[in-house]
Amino acid sequence: MGPGVGSDVVGTSPTAVTSASQGCGLEAGHWRRAAGRVAAYLAALGVQEPREVELLWGKVRLRVEARAAVVPLENPVEAAIEETHGLLDLWIASELGLEGDANTLCAARAVVLGGGVPGWSARWAGLSEHSLAPEIRALCVNAVPEPAPLTMEPNPIDLFMHRLGARLAAMIRCILGRPGDPDAAARGHP
Amino acid sequence: MTASTGARNLLRHLHKPVYFSLVILTTLGAMSLLSAAIQDKGTTPLELLLLILYVILMLWINASFWTAAIGFVRLLRRPDDLGPPPAEHTPEAETGTPFKTALVMPVYNEDPERVFAGLRAIWSSLVETGRHEGFEIFILSDTRDPNIWVKEEMHWRRWVEELGQPVRLFYRNRVENTARKSGNLADFCRGWGGRYRYMIVLDADSIMTGATLVEMVRRMEADRRLALIQVPPVPVNRHSLFARMIQFAGSLYGRMFAAGLAFWQQDTGNFWGHNAIIRVRPFADHCGLPKLPGREPFGGDILSHDFVEAALLARAGWKVRLADDLGGSYEEIPPTLIDYAKRDRRWCQGNLQHARLVLAQGFQTLSRIHFAMGVMSYLASPLWLLFLVATGIEAYFKSLERPVYFFGDNVLPVWPQTYTVEMTTVLVATLAMLFLPKVMALFLLAVKPRLGRLFGGVPRATLSVLIESLFSVLLAPVLMLFQSKFVAAILLRTAVGWPAQRRGDHQTGFAEALGAHGSHTLIALVAGALAYVYVPSFFWWFTPVLAGLALSIPVSMITSRTSLGILARRAGLFLTPEESAEPPVLRRLDQNLASPSSLPCCEIDEQELWSRAAADPYAYALHASLLPDETPSRRRRHYLEGLIFQLQDDGTGSLSPAEKRALLSHRDGLYELHTLLWAGAEPPATTGSRAGSEGAT
Repeated sequence: MGPGVGSDVVGTSPTAVTSASQGCGLEAGHWRRAAGRVAAYLAALGVQEPREVELLWGKVRLRVEARAAVVPLENPVEAAIEETHGLLDLWIASELGLEGDANTLCAARAVVLGGGVPGWSARWAGLSEHSLAPEIRALCVNAVPEPAPLTMEPNPIDLFMHRLGARLAAMIRCILGRPGDPDAAARGHP
Repeated sequence: MTASTGARNLLRHLHKPVYFSLVILTTLGAMSLLSAAIQDKGTTPLELLLLILYVILMLWINASFWTAAIGFVRLLRRPDDLGPPPAEHTPEAETGTPFKTALVMPVYNEDPERVFAGLRAIWSSLVETGRHEGFEIFILSDTRDPNIWVKEEMHWRRWVEELGQPVRLFYRNRVENTARKSGNLADFCRGWGGRYRYMIVLDADSIMTGATLVEMVRRMEADRRLALIQVPPVPVNRHSLFARMIQFAGSLYGRMFAAGLAFWQQDTGNFWGHNAIIRVRPFADHCGLPKLPGREPFGGDILSHDFVEAALLARAGWKVRLADDLGGSYEEIPPTLIDYAKRDRRWCQGNLQHARLVLAQGFQTLSRIHFAMGVMSYLASPLWLLFLVATGIEAYFKSLERPVYFFGDNVLPVWPQTYTVEMTTVLVATLAMLFLPKVMALFLLAVKPRLGRLFGGVPRATLSVLIESLFSVLLAPVLMLFQSKFVAAILLRTAVGWPAQRRGDHQTGFAEALGAHGSHTLIALVAGALAYVYVPSFFWWFTPVLAGLALSIPVSMITSRTSLGILARRAGLFLTPEESAEPPVLRRLDQNLASPSSLPCCEIDEQELWSRAAADPYAYALHASLLPDETPSRRRRHYLEGLIFQLQDDGTGSLSPAEKRALLSHRDGLYELHTLLWAGAEPPATTGSRAGSEGAT
């Protein structure tokens, strides 16, 4: 489980992907099924320019083929969606120079998909040289401020006549010369 | 210290003795009248029971009466300005060091539209003061409903984008809602309490003006031993006849009661749970609540935490005050009698739990009195019921007695001694204690013309008081039976739960009314028949109580009607100052509610919002960004996978809200869900991408 950021597949070079797909191969029928869904998913993400869609679609295909070369795909459509998601995360991580900072990655993903960063899809597709890191960082909002903890322990409230029987027994034991642990008695322990 | 200050301080010391002496002396007076009437031929056990019950109930009535009477005198001497005094100093000017105040709003499955509309209204009002930079809003969500949870996040994100930098709006949803509201506030203090000097606690339906918020902070800064200021909230914004009568009564009489309470409580006031400012550090130091020993309903978590927190602060030597002179503090009330009773059901258990704290070690005497009064506010109902039943039985026994005019060596008849004068005096005195505060409130309107106009003028206000009193008489026995049932259930150790409140205007249908009041009607018919057959003389005294119960179904339905409430308003009845001259902050709330913000992916079936939010890439990304970064245990992962299989096999309807929430509670589970939905036979229908449409511009 979990997004594929930093996974083996993500780190695979295009050349390796090509050779892997040639070696194992992603069945054409499988990819056809997945391709339409990837296009729909890209549209839902906000990628609308045909050129961008085409480029990203190609990248996703390479990733899916590489994955199929490593392990047979149980559900090519699911694999394709996961790889699209992974590709987006990989781009965000690389754009912001993130390494393993899942919170910032998630916040940045929300910013990008929230529509506050014009031109992000072109940059993701590799059609723009302009870094969007400053814009994305500026729009990243923490839902909570930095922790500023205070200690807040439960305060004791001694109820009236609470465990009176146990306390009386402890007193009687004391009087009889068998003191034991009065507090333990009061708590009801032997 | 000047002579006048010294005299004022001396007088302040007399407030409590004066108040409690008045309460005790009038109770003793009433007791002596009744005991004189019932001591004919000795006192039977039943008469003794009646006397004891009467004394307890009179003590309760007298405490209310003298609070109102003292408040009346104080208000007579005060200018009739209802708003907060203008803040004269900036908070920074008092201390020289900048600090922050958090507006914290704990929410639990509340309507996000209303929550954010209210907060936006408060914030706008605060911005108008120009002092908003010292404040931050913190929404402390304990919401369990996955649909509402997602919607809260969307509202938060929308607003935070609008507000821009620096961020002054925070949101967190607690993973586990341990210890309910008190646990929610404690969690805030443990996480971020060090960031703030003060927190102003708001309820989901609280509204406060910016000027009042600023003034609250100023007062806290002016007295370093002051830990809490409670500003009495005025009920507003409801339109049903029932709610408008309650609002009218709360606004008209509430001011008097608040002024009276502030007189005798002084620095050992109470906390009502919201619309109050709290000094965070002492709160964290002293208000961590223990679990009470034993099991529910008397053990476990302290439900009505507010009273206990005020008592703990007072125990630690901090001041707790009621700012009866501050306006600009509002709340919304249940719209119908049945909702009102439901709220009572929730509060009743918490208040009765305080019975265990009345004699706990270390609390100040006034804190104990607050606890006792809280208990009594619900225990009074079963005591009244017992008193009525005992009176009926006593009347029955009296009816069996046959007067003997000739006995012993008496030649002339010996007429039985009557106690009509004493009994009538007792009755009149009791009724006076109950109804005089209403007369005093009307007198205040008469001598303060500006105030009178805000209540619709003295004639209309008088008519409103008369109608409100009539309905009070009809509703009182119904509430008595409701509360007696709740108390009995709790004493039988049946937990009554803590359901979310139903706040919006809605009307009571016949089926609902029959379900809630059917037993009341039946009791009225049976009790009425018994009284009429066996004690006819008592029957007529009993008719006000019987009428209330017998008519409970139609009264409950009629009073829930918003059309009647609006009609009454057009007729100038039950007008409150907040209706006559609506404060800008309330007007802004209305505007916000009238034009709800359209949220991406929230314009669809709200019941399935959670799954749409998991499918919609933006909503999914936003939700994931607000979840804690933690890897679920192996067991948890299997559980989440099991839920996903269940979702695949049996559809969304097969999952409970808790299971849906579980799926949304971990990034890993959410990711699985997101990809699964997109890998299904059909792609999910999304509402269109924000990123595409806005990014292209």
